Amino acid sequence: MLDAEQEDRAFYDETKDTFGINDLIVVGVVDEADVFRSESLAGIARATAEILKIDGVIIEDVISPSTTDNVKSAGGLLDIHPVLGDIPQSAEELAQLRQDIADNPFLHEKIASADGTAIALYIPIEQKDMSHRIAGEIEAILTRELLPGQQHHLAGLPVSEDTFGHEMFIQMAIVAPLAFMVILAIVFVRFRQSAFLLPVAITAMFSVLWAMGALIGLGYTVHIMSSMIPVFLMPIAILDDIHILSEFFDRCRVLGDKRRALIEAMRPLYKPMFYTSITSGVGFASLALADIPPVRIFGLFVAFGIGAAWLLALTIVPAIISLMDDEKLKHRLFREGQGHTGPIYRLLASIGAIAFSRARLVLVLGIAAFAFGFAGLWQIEVNDNPVKWFKADHPLRLADTAMNELFGGTYMSYLVVNTEEPEAIKRPEVVAYIDQLQENLEADPIVGKTSSVADIVKRINLVLHDNDPAYDIVPESSEAVGQFLLLFQSSGDPNDLDNFIDPEESQANIWIQMKGGDNRQMQSVEDRLAAFVQANPPPEMITLQLSGLTYINKVWQDLMVTGMLKAVLGSFLVVFLLMLLEFRSFTFGALAMVPLSGSIILTYGLVGWLGKDYNMPIAVCAALTLGLGIDFAIHFLQRFKSHVLEARAVEATIRYMFGEPGRAIARNAIIITIGFLPLTLSTLSPYITVGLFFASLMTFCTLATLFVLPAALRFVGNRVIPGGAA
Amino acid sequence: MRLTLLLACIAMTASSVALSQSADEIMEASQRAYYFAGKDAKGMLKMALIDRKGNTRQRVLTMLRRNHENSGEQKYFMYFHEPSDVRRLTFMIWKYPKRDDDRWIYVPAVDLIRRIAAEDKYSSFVGSDFSYEDVSGRDLSEDTHSLLDDETLDDRNVFVIESIPLAPAAFTRRVSWIDKEHFLPLKIEYYDAQEQLQRIFTANVIEDIAAGEGDDRRVHPTAMKRTMENVRTGHRTEVIVTSVNYDVGLSDDDFSERHMRRPPREWIR
Repeated sequence: MLDAEQEDRAFYDETKDTFGINDLIVVGVVDEADVFRSESLAGIARATAEILKIDGVIIEDVISPSTTDNVKSAGGLLDIHPVLGDIPQSAEELAQLRQDIADNPFLHEKIASADGTAIALYIPIEQKDMSHRIAGEIEAILTRELLPGQQHHLAGLPVSEDTFGHEMFIQMAIVAPLAFMVILAIVFVRFRQSAFLLPVAITAMFSVLWAMGALIGLGYTVHIMSSMIPVFLMPIAILDDIHILSEFFDRCRVLGDKRRALIEAMRPLYKPMFYTSITSGVGFASLALADIPPVRIFGLFVAFGIGAAWLLALTIVPAIISLMDDEKLKHRLFREGQGHTGPIYRLLASIGAIAFSRARLVLVLGIAAFAFGFAGLWQIEVNDNPVKWFKADHPLRLADTAMNELFGGTYMSYLVVNTEEPEAIKRPEVVAYIDQLQENLEADPIVGKTSSVADIVKRINLVLHDNDPAYDIVPESSEAVGQFLLLFQSSGDPNDLDNFIDPEESQANIWIQMKGGDNRQMQSVEDRLAAFVQANPPPEMITLQLSGLTYINKVWQDLMVTGMLKAVLGSFLVVFLLMLLEFRSFTFGALAMVPLSGSIILTYGLVGWLGKDYNMPIAVCAALTLGLGIDFAIHFLQRFKSHVLEARAVEATIRYMFGEPGRAIARNAIIITIGFLPLTLSTLSPYITVGLFFASLMTFCTLATLFVLPAALRFVGNRVIPGGAA
Repeated sequence: MRLTLLLACIAMTASSVALSQSADEIMEASQRAYYFAGKDAKGMLKMALIDRKGNTRQRVLTMLRRNHENSGEQKYFMYFHEPSDVRRLTFMIWKYPKRDDDRWIYVPAVDLIRRIAAEDKYSSFVGSDFSYEDVSGRDLSEDTHSLLDDETLDDRNVFVIESIPLAPAAFTRRVSWIDKEHFLPLKIEYYDAQEQLQRIFTANVIEDIAAGEGDDRRVHPTAMKRTMENVRTGHRTEVIVTSVNYDVGLSDDDFSERHMRRPPREWIR
């Protein structure tokens, strides 16, 4: 998701190209009894042969018992054969196979687990976006070829990321419509008017369809962020509709005349609707200033959708109301509402009374909540791992846990050693430094295994000398290094060495297999590396640079966290300027920002206090407040302002505010909070996160608007009245 | 005069065989022409290993070969001149038609000779895109051969032969374009387990190399430039024969462990 020109991304692409590295699917076959049985090994060999036939698999680079060579030595003979050639039959042969794997550091805990219960295959694929399809074909093969009682696992970041992409579409097709249905159901429950569903449905659907249609039509790809557009847009899109319907609903009951009720309902709403839409729109559009391409696209298309929703609210909604049957409407409305007696009305009235009479207490509590949230911000742990975007019981999560317990690690990162000088990598001091570096990295519990040219050279040295442990070392001359490498190349595929050393022999690549892919874990490896280099400066001219998908994800997240923070802060500033312009009062402008900033700080504070990782979906959620948080505040303050100018009395205006305007806000809050709870049923945790975020955000926002704003207005409300209040 | 007669004879035999020849016979003739030319041979090879970005690793080596009469066995000896860090490294191969070769390597940096047991069909020849099997030939009875077509390739008349392995091999299908006149393969395509084209062999420059004197003079058409390209990885190996002599009088003794440590100077210059 990083910009192709971003330096770490560009370096990763270069690294992949230089060393012929591909994204890997790690396949595990687990047999609690013993995987080293003839029939089980035969099944794995058959399955491997079938996997090689899958389109998109890089045949030459597959690492598995039946395709990877083992170099052994026995009495002056170098025996170079696949680890698993002819299927061993006798107990001795099976024990020998186990021993062979355990003896070779290249194979140990890589193709078989230390306890002998599992075997792993590493399947490189041409492109990451083939992972999901290839994983499906591998599953089918394994299901067919494995023995009963044997389990299989598919792990690795590429398959997780690609599978997420696929499940995301499914979730989009289930969750977004589900949310949509629930919203309609609540609208129906609140207003008891089936006719009211039509404008809400049209606004929600068309704004989403237009925004997504434009996105796809302009050739942008739908990925994790843009897939969230429907979910983000829907609640914001229907805000205006609910305000109109709510206002109309109340007035029509009083006036009994549809036409007059509609005109009177629209009049006080034009201005706040215009301002809320333009503010949210500009707020989202300003995400386009972020450094991260997906965030830019997301912001712009949500802004476009908000514009579309505003247009629809102003045209389709009144048009549909006008077409409703006058008599039926009157009949139903009359039967429905018997004046100001509903529970919501009573609740709102008492909130208004409390907020006004206990203004100081409310403000103190508000400030306390704010401080609580603020303190929580310092507890926030920035951390992410795309595998954890699946719920804990998802097969990919289970595979991830199982595989990383059994093997050296499914998360790949690379450390590139650059000398800038042809053939310099073969200098013994360079190879020895690589060896030391690996030893140090492997001391980190999260690093399961590392492999490099140093391992190759040491292995060849050892087997050439009949397994004499004294020769399990890096040789002392570069001739020896060069000759050992030539011997290694003469044993397998010509590109085996290319994964570890570039053709010019000026760069080496250390494979770091990690048992976890959390950004925090990657960071700890990076810190350890920095500390080692500090204490043991590399031979002259040598530079080290981390890369690999796990590392790229960490970089992406660092950028995402700061980038999203900057983008949202920037949007806040823009929104604040718009508020100042709109209210032409610093006090009101600042007040309008209270629900917005209060709810965002409290929500993120909770994330901190609850110890939940701050990850990509949570970072994105900040943008939500731009749309939702500002809406209530603008409506509340606009309506307050225009009413107080007529009434010239703050208390009376606040009492009025807890009538119809308060009801519209409460209705919106209820509809959106409940409407998006279906998201929490998703199988993907980012959707759950967003669902919960909606709920808490709406709750805090509503509370801030209904309690803090009136309490504050008690003290500063008269500032908008020219000449002061009566 | 004699030469013309001889050539005419060869041409006649070739064309008459061509008319009635089976795929098996064509493949056998091809193997004789490509792998068994002369009684023995001594050549200097320049090998360029080129990756998909054009980066090149150079190797220069001397290669000696001696055929055993009738048995189909051969002995190969390879001495590395370049790159400098592998100078004096030698390989020796005793090739048997029906089983994996015996191979030895001499590693001068540690002054050790080791015998290597490996699968010819899968192991790379000194890190190139050629496998040992490509370098020393694959037993014809391991595949079924069928004549697909006669056609012209680069203005040469060729047989197109398809070979399908009977047991799992490094390829699932191989198509050879074999010159009707001198029976050298001009192009070979190898298909992998995914039935995709994996490697392409091309014999780019064919020259007639003369051996013997007077009545005994013979001509061996020789592929002076051979390329094996792995189209899946983009890696390719170009072998240029900078010099070659046939029937130089190599003896069995020249292919020994002793000579791996100290190769006779006349053979490796």
